[in-house]
Amino acid sequence: MLTCVWCGRSFNLTVTVTMIWQWRPLPQPALCAVCCARLTPINSQHCPQCGRQQASNTCCRDCLRWHDSLRNRALYCYDEGMKAYMQQYKFQGDYRLRLGLQASLRTALDREDYDILVPIPIDAQTWQTRGFNQVTGWLTGQPFQQVLTVTATHKDRPQSAKTRQERLLTPQPFELVSGASEIVSNQRVLLIDDVYTTGRTLRHAARQIYLGGAKAVTSLTLAR
Amino acid sequence: MTDYSELFGRRSPVTLPGAPDVMTSPAIAAVGQRWQCQRCGQLVAATDRLPNGDWYCRTCLQLGRLTSRDRLYTIPEPNCFARLMAGGLTWNGQLSSIQRQAARAVQKHALAGERQLLWAVTGAGKTEIVYPALAEALARGWRVAWVSPRVDVCLELAPRLRRDFAGVDQCVLYGGQPVPYRYCQLTICTTHQLLRFNRAFDWIIVDEVDAFPLATSPMLQVAIDRAQKTQGSCLYLTATPGERLQREIKRGKLAVTYLPLRYHGYLLPPIQLKISWRWRQQLQRGRLPAGLQRQFHLWWTARRPFLIFVPHVADLPVIMTVLMKMGLSDGATVHAADPKRQEKVQGFRDGEYRFLLTTTILERGVTFPRVAVAILGADDPVFSTAALVQIAGRVGRLASDPGGQVLAYCHSNARHVHRARAMIARLNRQGRRRGGRPC
Ligand SMILES: [Zn+2]
Ligand SMILES: [Zn+2]
Ligand SMILES: [Zn+2]
Repeated sequence: MLTCVWCGRSFNLTVTVTMIWQWRPLPQPALCAVCCARLTPINSQHCPQCGRQQASNTCCRDCLRWHDSLRNRALYCYDEGMKAYMQQYKFQGDYRLRLGLQASLRTALDREDYDILVPIPIDAQTWQTRGFNQVTGWLTGQPFQQVLTVTATHKDRPQSAKTRQERLLTPQPFELVSGASEIVSNQRVLLIDDVYTTGRTLRHAARQIYLGGAKAVTSLTLAR
Repeated sequence: MTDYSELFGRRSPVTLPGAPDVMTSPAIAAVGQRWQCQRCGQLVAATDRLPNGDWYCRTCLQLGRLTSRDRLYTIPEPNCFARLMAGGLTWNGQLSSIQRQAARAVQKHALAGERQLLWAVTGAGKTEIVYPALAEALARGWRVAWVSPRVDVCLELAPRLRRDFAGVDQCVLYGGQPVPYRYCQLTICTTHQLLRFNRAFDWIIVDEVDAFPLATSPMLQVAIDRAQKTQGSCLYLTATPGERLQREIKRGKLAVTYLPLRYHGYLLPPIQLKISWRWRQQLQRGRLPAGLQRQFHLWWTARRPFLIFVPHVADLPVIMTVLMKMGLSDGATVHAADPKRQEKVQGFRDGEYRFLLTTTILERGVTFPRVAVAILGADDPVFSTAALVQIAGRVGRLASDPGGQVLAYCHSNARHVHRARAMIARLNRQGRRRGGRPC
């Protein structure tokens, strides 16, 4: 009997023939089937740039407007279910909910090709009140480098409280920590963040990493 | 002068600068080797530690997260209320002599500061029976909370109390309430919201005390105890006391006022048991048993509004399709998570719908005139004894129409159905002794 971290109900693990065949320890899912069904995984039909779920594999309209070549992949659609998850995890600060998406992120990271993993940082104030970085909370031992930091002078409202237009005009919030160049120079860096909304935050981060001398920067988000 | 009333009898994670007599304590306190939340009283799991080193409580997260960095602030309840005329009572209805008797008993126990239970059958008018005691309590300057584990009960109660106690300052609290908290002499709230109070109330009225989740939650029971002043007391209201309360009655730990008759003096309609062999298999083939079909047709053509209770949300669309095929139009399905729930219930009340197909959510505190009830799969374990008695209690609430049918369709011989029938029979025996009329 397992307990779902999201709804708190007990559930049974359905063991399939493949799972036995694989001869690995049985997975310990953190979410019950009902809660899993609240989230919509993004399938192979997505925008080649931002990774959003759509009916075709051509570049979406938002990406065309950027005129660049950022490459992002996302695990889930940012729909009602994912918003409810983020609300409880990030805004109510229920740290234990991180367990719900760790397995999905692990699988996704295994598929990505990169040298260094860089999570998007949170500012000192948020660290004090929230008590955790929502992005690193999903990691399960994968090595990462916190080479980015939020500029001390960067006083800002939360991204979620802004309109699309305001988000796009957000000035550069990040800087490289000292010694960052030695780490990222000539490396393929994978940025990781919670939600891709306009792509502004990830592009700001990518720009700083490139300035540090990285060879390539791509990104992965939990939701788009 | 600054107003500090926001902290009177509260347990608040924010204080007001300069407030006098503030008592404060850490929100998460060490208890032996473990950590305990001081708002909900639950222990923090060893794994619920944040990377910055703080502990946090998951149990009462919905009220806003508390961590070991937070503190709780309170100002001891000073009962700062304006003097009220007649306890603020503006109701000028009349109690029947049976109701008056019960009301006097409730008032006597309340003024003596005794823990008590008002065991009144569904449709006895228990809310009004409490009015005289409530008016007296408010006239004495008591701070009072009227609480229920169910938000729909609170929402139905609030406008009634606003109308019947128009002279009293009141506020309504529940998760997602649209207006912020305000210090008032009469608070109407869910039992969860009591976690935010500390020794605030002289008297707490707990409506539908046996309803989920209060009946199964030690945390909420503690919340009621701690929201009461040390000298305070509480009154439980129910038609179907659970085993815990019944035990306390037997041991004499609880004063009881007993009201086995409805306000109009008629007895409760009995539950009629109907054997409906293999109705689920028939349903899979897109049919309902012939007897059921006939009954629904009868009600529908007679324009008698009716409720059909089914065990599971998944049954709703399937059965609805069958009913539509039978030509029974103008019905609606409702369940707990239905976003249009309030509108549909109101629509049924207004006669816009001729029937409602629903799960157990409508069992309590909801009144429809002239309604008839069918319980499909009454032997399913989701229908507890208390739930069945409550469902039967939806019928015959009006003096002009005290009768009405309650039909329980079962596939098997169910213990719960028999217990519910026995409970109603027992109440009716008591009622007959007090002059109750069969309907
Ligand atoms: Zn779940
Ligand atoms: Zn795109
Ligand atoms: Zn707590």
